[in-house]
Amino acid sequence: MPPSTCLRSLSQLSLDASTHRSIVPRLLHPRVACFSTSATHYAQAPKKKGTTAAPKKGVKSLNTKKGKQASGGDSGKRPAQGERKALRKRIVLSNNNALEVSSLKDLSKESAFSEQNEGQVMGLPEHVVDALRAVEAFKTTQGWSLFRRPAVLMRKEAIQVAKLFKEVEDSASGQQKKTLRRILSGERMSGKSTLLLQGLTIGFLRDWFVISLPEAQDIVNAHTDYAPLPKSEPMQYTQDTYTANLLQQILKSNGSFLESAKLITKPDLPLPLSAKATLKELVALGIANPEVSWPVFVALWNELSQPGRPPILLAVDGLSHMMGDSKYMSADVKPVHAYDLTIIRLFIDHLSGQKQLPNGGIVLGATSQSNAPTSPALDFCVGVAEAQQKTPDNVPQWNPYKKVDVRVMEALKDLNSEKSDFDVIKVGGLSKEEARAIMEYYAESGMLRHQINDRFVNEKWSLAGMGNIGELEKASVRLRL
Amino acid sequence: MPPRLNITTFTRSIAFRPQPRLQWPARSAARCTPSQCRLYSDANAADRSKRVDAKPMEHVSEEKAAVAEAMGEQGPDMSQGTPVEEVVKGDKAAQEKLPKVMQDKIKAQSNSAPKGSRSYSTTTTQTSGSGGLDMGLVDLKSVATVPETPGLKFQMPTLPLPKDGHVKHRYDPVVEQVTNLLMRHGEKSVAQRNMALILQHLRTSPIPTINPQKPLLPGAPPPSHLPLNPILYLTLAIDSVAPVMRIRSQRGAAGGGVALQIPVPLGQRQRRRAAVQWIMGAASKRRNMGSGKGSFAQRIAQELIAVVQGTSSIWERRNAIHKLGVAARANIVLPRKK
Repeated sequence: MPPSTCLRSLSQLSLDASTHRSIVPRLLHPRVACFSTSATHYAQAPKKKGTTAAPKKGVKSLNTKKGKQASGGDSGKRPAQGERKALRKRIVLSNNNALEVSSLKDLSKESAFSEQNEGQVMGLPEHVVDALRAVEAFKTTQGWSLFRRPAVLMRKEAIQVAKLFKEVEDSASGQQKKTLRRILSGERMSGKSTLLLQGLTIGFLRDWFVISLPEAQDIVNAHTDYAPLPKSEPMQYTQDTYTANLLQQILKSNGSFLESAKLITKPDLPLPLSAKATLKELVALGIANPEVSWPVFVALWNELSQPGRPPILLAVDGLSHMMGDSKYMSADVKPVHAYDLTIIRLFIDHLSGQKQLPNGGIVLGATSQSNAPTSPALDFCVGVAEAQQKTPDNVPQWNPYKKVDVRVMEALKDLNSEKSDFDVIKVGGLSKEEARAIMEYYAESGMLRHQINDRFVNEKWSLAGMGNIGELEKASVRLRL
Repeated sequence: MPPRLNITTFTRSIAFRPQPRLQWPARSAARCTPSQCRLYSDANAADRSKRVDAKPMEHVSEEKAAVAEAMGEQGPDMSQGTPVEEVVKGDKAAQEKLPKVMQDKIKAQSNSAPKGSRSYSTTTTQTSGSGGLDMGLVDLKSVATVPETPGLKFQMPTLPLPKDGHVKHRYDPVVEQVTNLLMRHGEKSVAQRNMALILQHLRTSPIPTINPQKPLLPGAPPPSHLPLNPILYLTLAIDSVAPVMRIRSQRGAAGGGVALQIPVPLGQRQRRRAAVQWIMGAASKRRNMGSGKGSFAQRIAQELIAVVQGTSSIWERRNAIHKLGVAARANIVLPRKK
């Protein structure tokens, strides 16, 4: 029998609900239904007083506190427009702290072809440095700023390039003047741009006419204005500002020749030019009036094609940028192929062998591994040419699932044929002797504080991936751990 | 009614002073003065009691006599005793009784030190290793030839072992430490690139002009040597500006709610860490001139150059810490000697 007192007291409680306010509601009127906990479960947690939600990332909250400066380290005047870029792109070619290397000999017009230079570090003479600077051959990523003055290692490939120059010059006396075409390929930081610079150096030393496109990316990335070339079929595009700038570089680097040479042809220009003008005046006309820069360039090219003019060196860095569509748009909003830009077309016509340089010359193109858009056609053609040099029985096949750019394939088809005037120069690692020579130069400049012995050279040569010169510099000079 | 005398406050109001330690022998002034360096912040605390410089000094005349004997010269006559000036040195009462000529001489001598200089030093010197700064010359020392031992498969290693001989300690310790301190979000490769850029900036910057008011470490090479040896440049800048001590605030030790400030000596790595963090703080306040990846590295390098040239504000910070440390040196509680 259940005790009756419990029930009674419970009923009493309900009667005295008003007197015991604190206990009763908990017992008698539960706030939630007994068999469901979901309401409490999903109820929002009571907000704590005094805490507010943290401001969202990236949203500026109003700072009302007094005396509290806006955080952030550098507050002050911003650098002027273009100042930052100028600082970033600054080329320093000398380090006053570096020691003078007494044994350093300069390259000269006579010694440019000498094979005794192989494996030696040679200085660049002053006037060549100025010309190279004018054509923007020095890059910010290269280590020129560490040494007293620019010097280059005459490696095996550099001698190979020098031989090309010799071959062209030897053919100048004969009837058939040679046009040699080479693509410089190799691994990242293996010295392709520097080898191109060495080629330009020889060109300047031997008084060739040097036209260098410092960076193919600058031509195709649509940072400069463009205009359709009248009467062109299919449509081609000129780049007036870029061409005017190129003319300026040409004038700076080849000034002495342009000053001495007089007009032979009669250029058809919209602007007046005296018949006895020098080529310098012609070029200056194009620089001053960018809208006629392309006709001036064509007139200059025609002048250079006349007999008796020097051989021409055409060079470009970052070749894969021009092997595909450019960033420019045509009138019907289709991407313009890089080959339809007039400057690039001129270069590609000579690289592919469609046109020959009338006074002979060399067309040099350097590929890049660090800044290069994918260009399967170029990669394939270069790969096949490399394989033909190294392992002729094992040549890669075209992958049919890759998108082929027919125009590029067409332009580079000579590369894989047996003809000798279009080929690839594979820029590989240094040999140990070359590595030793350049490391001795580093040590003599005071940039490498170590005795150069076989053990040290071997160690760094191996660390640099079998003599990759960029890695070698990084490991020995740049103090990069 | 609460008791009038609160016991808890009673104990706290007694100024806490360490009792004078009679067990510790009073250090003779002669032993302290000749080398003004404080050797306690050492990389490896070794027992220094056996070293030559820890032994008590001989008397001036005795030492001179010993030197003269070793050199084969005529030393001072030991039977005659020492000059009066040396006897009364440090004894104020005796100095008052000297003749006026000698008093003037002593006064002139005491005034000869520059006004701002202290009688104690707030620099340290390294006691480990060769003593001097590391000049960064790797493998240029002549290696002692080891006699050939028969029966060895490989040759005996030539001693001393090369500095980069151990794979885990092949890089310079300062460079390694600064690289790790530069690292953010665990991106060590970025830190290494920044370190390389800093060193490159140091080696291409012009030769620094040293401010004599802000002296660098004793034994520093001439400034013309610095750009060619950027690691030494970095080490010199960091070690010169590194504080010798930090101030620990002990709450409740001084009484009256004031924290007792106790100077605590720092070890070598700790001192370098403090200096690098100051330098990084000062560098981040510099105006960013360029753009791209290398701007922070460039600012740090500029700050390092400013430190060596004495134009950096970090020197004031260091001096403030040292001044505070000197003022609070009475708060140091030395361990009781067993």
